Amino acid sequence: MNLRNAAPPFVRAEPTSASMLRTVLFALCALLVIPTVRYGIRPLTMAGVSVLTCLVCEILANLLRTGGFSVTDPSFAVTGLVLALLMPLNAPLWLPCASGAFAVLVAKAPFGSFGRNPFNPAAAGAAFAALCWPGLMFTYFDPSEPFRLPAFADCTFRTGVSAAATLKNGLKPDILPLDMLWGEAAGPLGTGAALVVGACALLLLFSRAAHWQAPVCFLAVCALLAALFPRIACSPLTSVKYELLSGSLLFGGVFLVSDPVPAPYTASGKGIYGAFAGAALMAFRHFGVCEQGAWFAVLLANAASPLIDRAVFRVRGWEEKPHG
Amino acid sequence: MIPHGVRLEPRKGVPLKNGIVRLPGPEPVSAPQTFAPLKKNAGPSRIIAAAEKAGIVDESDGMPLGKKLSRLARRGPGLLIARCFDEDPCTSSARAVFREDAEKVAAGLKLAARACGAEEKRLAVASRGEARRLRGLRLGIPAVVAGRRYPAGILLMRKLCRNGGRAAFLGAQACAALADAAREGKPQSETVVTVAGDGVRRPVNCRVRIGTPVEKVLRLAKPEEDVRIAAVGSAVAGRTVRDLSLPVTAATRCVIALRDAPPERRYPCIRCGRCARACPAGVIPWLVYRELESGDPDPLLFFHAGDCAGCRACNAVCPSGIDLAAEVRRAAARKEGGEG
Repeated sequence: MNLRNAAPPFVRAEPTSASMLRTVLFALCALLVIPTVRYGIRPLTMAGVSVLTCLVCEILANLLRTGGFSVTDPSFAVTGLVLALLMPLNAPLWLPCASGAFAVLVAKAPFGSFGRNPFNPAAAGAAFAALCWPGLMFTYFDPSEPFRLPAFADCTFRTGVSAAATLKNGLKPDILPLDMLWGEAAGPLGTGAALVVGACALLLLFSRAAHWQAPVCFLAVCALLAALFPRIACSPLTSVKYELLSGSLLFGGVFLVSDPVPAPYTASGKGIYGAFAGAALMAFRHFGVCEQGAWFAVLLANAASPLIDRAVFRVRGWEEKPHG
Repeated sequence: MIPHGVRLEPRKGVPLKNGIVRLPGPEPVSAPQTFAPLKKNAGPSRIIAAAEKAGIVDESDGMPLGKKLSRLARRGPGLLIARCFDEDPCTSSARAVFREDAEKVAAGLKLAARACGAEEKRLAVASRGEARRLRGLRLGIPAVVAGRRYPAGILLMRKLCRNGGRAAFLGAQACAALADAAREGKPQSETVVTVAGDGVRRPVNCRVRIGTPVEKVLRLAKPEEDVRIAAVGSAVAGRTVRDLSLPVTAATRCVIALRDAPPERRYPCIRCGRCARACPAGVIPWLVYRELESGDPDPLLFFHAGDCAGCRACNAVCPSGIDLAAEVRRAAARKEGGEG
């Protein structure tokens, strides 16, 4: 017997950080299935180039920082996949690459990489793309007539109007609710299929890969504000339905708001953080220029999360008081 | 912060219905010398003297029972509890002792309660089923069910002491040994050890002479060839041994053989906040860690770092594999004025 020394504990209680990231990756890959079946392999190439860019940027950043090539965690793949899923499928392939590079090189690496980034890198990358190329970010092809998109080349297409844009113009979207559930409407690549996103949310919750406080508070506040202040003339419940199913609200709630790294530490802080992001998102939808802005709301809440932590500390009396 | 403890992943333990296997000593060892048994209504000082004479060590904290009882007698605990449950999922020695002879454990607890003047006594058992079994035995001592979450002992203590009550734990084996010493004048010469883990083919609870090498105990459970880790004490807070000729002591509750070392990779803190929920002592390990990492720690933010009980629930729950217990110890040392 060749015995070794090791540090306890020898039994574990929770998933490790890497296995949590792998669960998120699995959930994100599940979102690629329906678009791939419907439009050919372009969704896969888009996700592939996006993840590859993030990997290259991560290695570059590691070279600059530590002089080593090794990539220790799969968080770059999560960033890449989230970015690809937030883009329209007809966007040129350099768009996810550019935003992925921004996400890793500007929003993540300078702060010390995974675990220390104050902002969600994917949200930062998407915000960057939406600010620089709003035309490309918010132009969607019309999925009503089935056709396949080329794998790599830029494509010509007939534009469709997304539900979020229709709502922004104060009109009722002309989309069947069933199509919204399966994502058969103009919109970003991976955010439309509400049923799949919901299944992913359940997977993340039950495998304990994500906490529930922030996403639940986020969705609850969004639904409440949608019911109280509908943007279109309809019943509160219809407003809630369209607001939740349009744009990247649901996807943002499940994959961006649930990221624990830029969120507050405390459970109640996470709830406030989610609620704040929800309120910010609904404000952007009402008063903002862009048709959707989940990433802006998440970035704003990220910036507020240290303040939320301090507020929770003060309320609980954990600050400015010597403890035994 | 309300402590919730940790739900540890369940492990295949030792089947309790197999009972306790006795490991015979290979070389002829003379039977331990007995002394005069106690009279039926012996006073506290005589019971404490008998515990000292029998050399009983409480397996739950490694303290000599005589010393512990006299200390408790000075303080006067309201409630004395015998620990008939095991905290970590691999160990079942306390449960096996309780299954084997609950009457003896109860008799020992009664003696100990008389010795330290406890007003109330309870048997803390692992599950509701065990509590039902205990009621069936009609021993006259009520049961209290310890939770399934780690560290069950500290969490139970907090629950019982919530209203300012005072309580103390005694190990089940120490209670049984005290009953033996009082009835037959027998010193504590044996202890029950669980041998388990994925590195053994036949996990077993065995009664061994104190001082038996760990190797012999491990051999009894048929270890695999590729055992990499042998840990004693606990699967969560124990320590590894490389030298298997080390002796089994009265406080060795388990020997755990594992084929794979736990992963050593560390990730940065991902701010999940699970350590603070797990800590039974009210320490906020992530805050302590963050402060120590910051380079300029504020000792005012080391909440209750000195209260750390060393249960390592925070380590077991941390998804990034950070040694939070060591950080909390460092912080406590800093707070005391020394450099951690």
